[in-house]
Amino acid sequence: MKNAFLGAVSALIVSASVAAAQDYPAKEIQGIIQWGAGGSTDTVMRAVTPHAEKVLGATVVLQNVTGGVGAIALNQVAAAEADGYTLLMGAENPLLYKVMGLGDKDYSDFTPINLLARGTPILVAGKDAPFDDYAGMMEHIRANPGEVRFGSTGPGGLPSVVTAMIQAVEGELDVTFVPYDGDGPALTALQGGAIDVMPAVLGASIEGIRAGTMKPLALFDVTPAEALPEVPTVTSFNEGYAAYLPWGPFFGIFVRNGTPEDAVAKLTAAYAEAAQQPEFLDLLRNRGFTLMNISGDEARAFLADWQRKTAWLMHDAGLTKASPEDFGIARPGE
Amino acid sequence: MDAIAAFLTVFTDLELLLLVAVGTFAGVYIGAIPGLSVTMAVSILISFTFSWDVYPAIALMIGIFMGGVYGGSRTAILLNIPGAPSAIATAMDGYPMARRGEAGTAIGITTVMSFFGGFIGILVLAVAAPLVSDFALSFQPRDYMLLALLGILLVGSLSGESLVKGIFAGALGIAIGAVGMDPLTFTERFTFDQPLLRQGVSFIAVMIGMFGVSEALAQLHHVDTPAIRQKITRIVPSFGTIRRHLPLSLQTSTIGVVIGALPGTGGDIAALLAYDHARRVTKKPERPFGQGAIEGLVAPETANNAAVGGAFIPMMTLGIPGDAVTAIMIGALFIHGLNPGPMLMIDRPEMFWFVVGALVAANFFMLLFGLTGIRLFTRIVEMPRAVLIPLILLLSIVGAYAVNNSITDVYWMLGFGLLGYFMRLYGWPLGPVILGVILSRLFDDNWRRAIISVREDFGRFFWGILTSPLSLALFTAVVLIFLSQTPLWGWAKARLFGRGAEDAP
Repeated sequence: MKNAFLGAVSALIVSASVAAAQDYPAKEIQGIIQWGAGGSTDTVMRAVTPHAEKVLGATVVLQNVTGGVGAIALNQVAAAEADGYTLLMGAENPLLYKVMGLGDKDYSDFTPINLLARGTPILVAGKDAPFDDYAGMMEHIRANPGEVRFGSTGPGGLPSVVTAMIQAVEGELDVTFVPYDGDGPALTALQGGAIDVMPAVLGASIEGIRAGTMKPLALFDVTPAEALPEVPTVTSFNEGYAAYLPWGPFFGIFVRNGTPEDAVAKLTAAYAEAAQQPEFLDLLRNRGFTLMNISGDEARAFLADWQRKTAWLMHDAGLTKASPEDFGIARPGE
Repeated sequence: MDAIAAFLTVFTDLELLLLVAVGTFAGVYIGAIPGLSVTMAVSILISFTFSWDVYPAIALMIGIFMGGVYGGSRTAILLNIPGAPSAIATAMDGYPMARRGEAGTAIGITTVMSFFGGFIGILVLAVAAPLVSDFALSFQPRDYMLLALLGILLVGSLSGESLVKGIFAGALGIAIGAVGMDPLTFTERFTFDQPLLRQGVSFIAVMIGMFGVSEALAQLHHVDTPAIRQKITRIVPSFGTIRRHLPLSLQTSTIGVVIGALPGTGGDIAALLAYDHARRVTKKPERPFGQGAIEGLVAPETANNAAVGGAFIPMMTLGIPGDAVTAIMIGALFIHGLNPGPMLMIDRPEMFWFVVGALVAANFFMLLFGLTGIRLFTRIVEMPRAVLIPLILLLSIVGAYAVNNSITDVYWMLGFGLLGYFMRLYGWPLGPVILGVILSRLFDDNWRRAIISVREDFGRFFWGILTSPLSLALFTAVVLIFLSQTPLWGWAKARLFGRGAEDAP
């Protein structure tokens, strides 16, 4: 019985790979989105994919597979055939799985099809917070140890990286961290006064800042954002941040290593063109994301650099479960 | 003037009206199938309606939302499997009605009351959205925690004959809800180093197993008894019935709107709290609760449909989702080039009024589709058990699989179905288990947030409760409801009101 089953499966695989070799794409493509419906990864992927479908001439069926900080989706794609019919649509998190003890796979097991865009972190405060900019916040924290409430989203999330950066530059930060499920709920809590400060991605806070329901303290980048030019960069308060910036979460599409080159090339071409569509560019601009649209070796270099910087930052802040060294991730500059 | 024109857009454009109708129709049937959720349908629609204009896309989504929330009650009444979490409370009294041959009446009441609740929700959205969203935003973690506690006290209403068994069942539910990787600290809880347990137990799988499979197994005991004939005399409830339940439905609709507007709580919790409220305020139900009380249908159905309008309140005024479906709709608005946020109402007020108009249209279509085809539906319960039982099992398996496309969820579902069957057999109530699973994280996460925020200082925590009117009101409600379930209550009542209280029923 088991043999018959295995036979059927391998027959299926053979026929699938023959089909793939002949003319990719010959059937529906599965797109596994690492994060839940309605989130930023989901929105970006659902916005870009219909354009890519037109170029590919095939349907990409999108599906949200959530859980385990995205590890469930990653493992699902890693377990699928390397035939180009299963895409992983993810964010930056997998690059920290190893040091965070969340899994033994990361993007080095995958071939990047396209790194679409990156976000910029921004530090925002509730509109009733007793400070108006980054310098005022630092002063207030020093004067009131433990009283300022920072929102967080668990180790490895954007807030934890930004906080690690602040501690690396300014020294120990005596604040209270209140954990939330994601930046959406945390920013809601910020507007309701349940927390005081939140390191968030620009796109999630942009509308609140425009409407005055939250105060921007500093943009975590070396140059001001196009969408909010009046918000000062954090390097204008402290030059020390320049060593870590620019840094930000990103969104990318991946296939398993070993996928036929023809499929990788076709997918890469399709998504590169899709990422240039005006509607998609509008969406990125409105949500405060920066277009990257890179693939191949450029994308690989970006991933490696991102992983080195971030993993060591987290490790030095004492937030990791294992040293990056154990996985051959060299300290930046070494 | 512009507002009225925008409100009427959906009624004057035949294509939009048709899309709302199609959406509502599809929603009723998607909602009726356990596992196929409105959330799923709406997120698929995002890709599907990608190239459309924003109005038709939103019209279709709103139709599905409204129809889907209502549709969950169908299977809850007919088969005791809630089609959606928001219909759990509906099964408590709806299914007993179907077993008496009153499925037609139950669906009729449910439909009319859903329409009523939906209408109240839309009305509040239209006239008081900014006010309600400010109120919803003022909920602090400790208030969410107290709200969850209030919900957990519902155990008393759901326990049936033995409160002690109910408390144990509720605690089991809370423990099931805690399994998995804790999203706040990334610590594994109750996982015993099994990777399988890391993702936690799918709540929908527990729900389908406990209600659907255990029901099918329990039915096996009566496989030879003939099916109950359904008498379809009156589907549309009489005006007298509606008027009698008007005060209750107004109260439960209010509960629905507020819970729906709170970010982080939705129709499921609204319906359960409303059900509990009905049990408390209804002095003389025609039939006891749990055995087919009309009030037990009126309360959850008004509340969960009122929660739809409620969920749009923070979405339209602040760009904050009121529940999972509105979270996806916000994504859809982004894709269509709009910027949902506090400025949306100012920049694009016509969008707000269009949404209100589409909701009104969807509500009418829901009434229409709900009241037609009931005869056909009630035939389901008249089927011989030898057909019905496999059908329930099939539906349960498909439903459990569809949630995450995961076969593991099917095993969980079957496991909990077996557990549920034995619990039933030995007189353990199942309602509290589901209640525990639903409220576990709401309670646990917010308790931790609340206590962490005050630097783990109990004194400051209670000071916070005492100095905030909202927290104080919730706290008082928790204490009073808790005391009302202890013998102390009767004693205090007798002392305070003398013999009068004794004579009162």
